[in-house]
Amino acid sequence: MWQRETFKKIKQIPREEHVMPGTALCAGCGGLEALRLAAKVLGDHVVYVNAAGCFTMLAAYPYSSFKGSWLYTTMGSAPAGAQGIRDALDVLIAKRRLPKSEDLKVIVLGGDGSTYDMALSATSGAMNRQLDFYYICYDNEAYGNTGMQLSPATPYAARTATSPCSLQHPAATMQEKKDIFEIWRAHRPPYIATVAPRYPLDLEEKFARAATFTGPKMFLALAACPTGWLYDPGATPEVAKLAVETGLWPLKEAVNGVVTHTYIPKRKPVEAYLRLQGRFRHLFEPTVQTDAIRHIQERVDAYWQQAAQEQA
Amino acid sequence: MVAVRFHGRGGQGAKTASRILGTAAFLSGYVAQDSPIYGAERRGAPVAAFTRFSREPIRERGAITYPDVIVVADASLLDDATARVVDGMDDQTVLFVNSSLSTDALRAHLSLPEQMTVRDVTGIALQQLGQREAISALLGAVAARLVGLEWESVRLAITRELQDLAVTAPVIEKNLTVAKQCYDSSGPASLHKGRSQAISVAALHRPIYEPPTKGTARISAAGNSVLRETGGWRTFRPVLFADKCNGCWLCFAYCPDGVIAMNQEDRPVVDYAHCKGCQICVHECPTHALVAEREAEGGVAWTAK
Ligand SMILES: Cc1ncc(C[n+]2csc(CCOP(=O)(O)OP(=O)(O)O)c2C)c(N)n1
Ligand code: SF4
Repeated sequence: MWQRETFKKIKQIPREEHVMPGTALCAGCGGLEALRLAAKVLGDHVVYVNAAGCFTMLAAYPYSSFKGSWLYTTMGSAPAGAQGIRDALDVLIAKRRLPKSEDLKVIVLGGDGSTYDMALSATSGAMNRQLDFYYICYDNEAYGNTGMQLSPATPYAARTATSPCSLQHPAATMQEKKDIFEIWRAHRPPYIATVAPRYPLDLEEKFARAATFTGPKMFLALAACPTGWLYDPGATPEVAKLAVETGLWPLKEAVNGVVTHTYIPKRKPVEAYLRLQGRFRHLFEPTVQTDAIRHIQERVDAYWQQAAQEQA
Repeated sequence: MVAVRFHGRGGQGAKTASRILGTAAFLSGYVAQDSPIYGAERRGAPVAAFTRFSREPIRERGAITYPDVIVVADASLLDDATARVVDGMDDQTVLFVNSSLSTDALRAHLSLPEQMTVRDVTGIALQQLGQREAISALLGAVAARLVGLEWESVRLAITRELQDLAVTAPVIEKNLTVAKQCYDSSGPASLHKGRSQAISVAALHRPIYEPPTKGTARISAAGNSVLRETGGWRTFRPVLFADKCNGCWLCFAYCPDGVIAMNQEDRPVVDYAHCKGCQICVHECPTHALVAEREAEGGVAWTAK
């Protein structure tokens, strides 16, 4: 059984804030919640390398929400930017032009469009070179900043701006969500974890554990998104909770490639999660699309069956 | 050509209202355009959307600088210089403001045009639709009435646009009923057509090369986003009933913006200057010690900078 060692009680969440308010991100943004919690462990001796996306709104001239540093990159090049900064810091420290105490953690921040799609090759390269960095993908399952277009992270049957319901496709998109966790794992980075904002202690613990590894530390954060998933902003924790409790968003980590599920949900029917969100409403109204719902359920069941087998 | 500019906060429906108007005009046989501004259009942040329609092909594109009609979905935007609501407004502009305040109260500190209507559309939406942010159909209907479009096209346009947003049939029906009331109780405005002025073409500038230290947008301050107060985004504010609070820290843990701090007695203190009013704390408080209260317009702790 996986156990938290550092973060056992909610009152251990550090009080200090590192991502300051006044941001232009949506009220109720689940991705921001994940970042805020992560930053409580990461601290201020950091440089965020941010691929274009919603989070670039966090530092929109002339304001920055970060107490640490931040660099803006194109959607495809954040891990390459991270390599450049890491190398520069290493060289400066080696030449004694920068004291070791001023070293920074290099952290890529990317949306799913950037992570699953445009920056995949740059990420692959960085992992292959064992770059010492963090990667945080906040996964809102679409290209959010430009108005919610389909990305490879969009799950089966989700309606987006570019995957509407049509006569040919009454259940909206038929693509399956790309399994980025496994793509990352094939590179054998020392640490990979999935997190969700509604599970703050699980999240904090994973960032604390990641700090003990040198090399790529990869995070996939569920970014429940009221604007794109079409639900009331106040329901963000509820949506994140149901994503985990239905088994659709497994909380897990991979240490040197060995996978452990950090939480085993009792697995509510997926319907409970789907029903909450406007992007799945067509599955229930005007008629219930039983086949599509069953398909989603079967995929989750198959995932957990395989996980149980591997565990045994 | 008729040019209508909508101002609202992201999520309030200004963009959809603009689409409803565009679609309604199109269905009435006009050439129509509608587009929102592209930028940091987030829930709660100031947004603008533009609708043009005409019997002739429309050559103009982009933002509307001199609108015939301005529809304001949130009166607090009038005080927010960055929202640029009054841009290109003059005495001939027709203005509609969604507010529970009176026309005089709004005029008290701003000079606003003669043809100005104020109506508490949010109040109507709360009362009749039970939802604070369901005002796009109502605003679309009011705007369509102001510019003299027929109800039948408005009805079709609302149905189409709300369907596109995955709104269910019974909710669309309700929206139509309330929208019709708003439509019927407004009158057509007298528009001064053809007053939209051509935008002067700026002289071409040849960019000068500057090194990145000078030529890029650098922010040298740390965490200075606190200077931007986002408290004005709220429709509802979380209010604490301290005797019910058990000091569990959940509101603090789940607040995305980090605007809840726990004091020495383990009670939450909300930073109202920045709280965006997402209501997560209200939803998640296990003892219901945090309660949502509608912001009183004009009487809030927040003022725009
Ligand atoms: C190469 C390239 N194509 C398109 C864009 C326009 N663009 C800016 S942000 C964005 C969406 C990014 O989506 P995602 O990575 O999922 O992050 P999110 O916006 O959801 O946070 C797009 C398409 C861009 N900046 N660069
Ligand atoms: S669109 Fe979604 S992910 Fe982007 S800022 Fe808004 S809530 Fe967050």
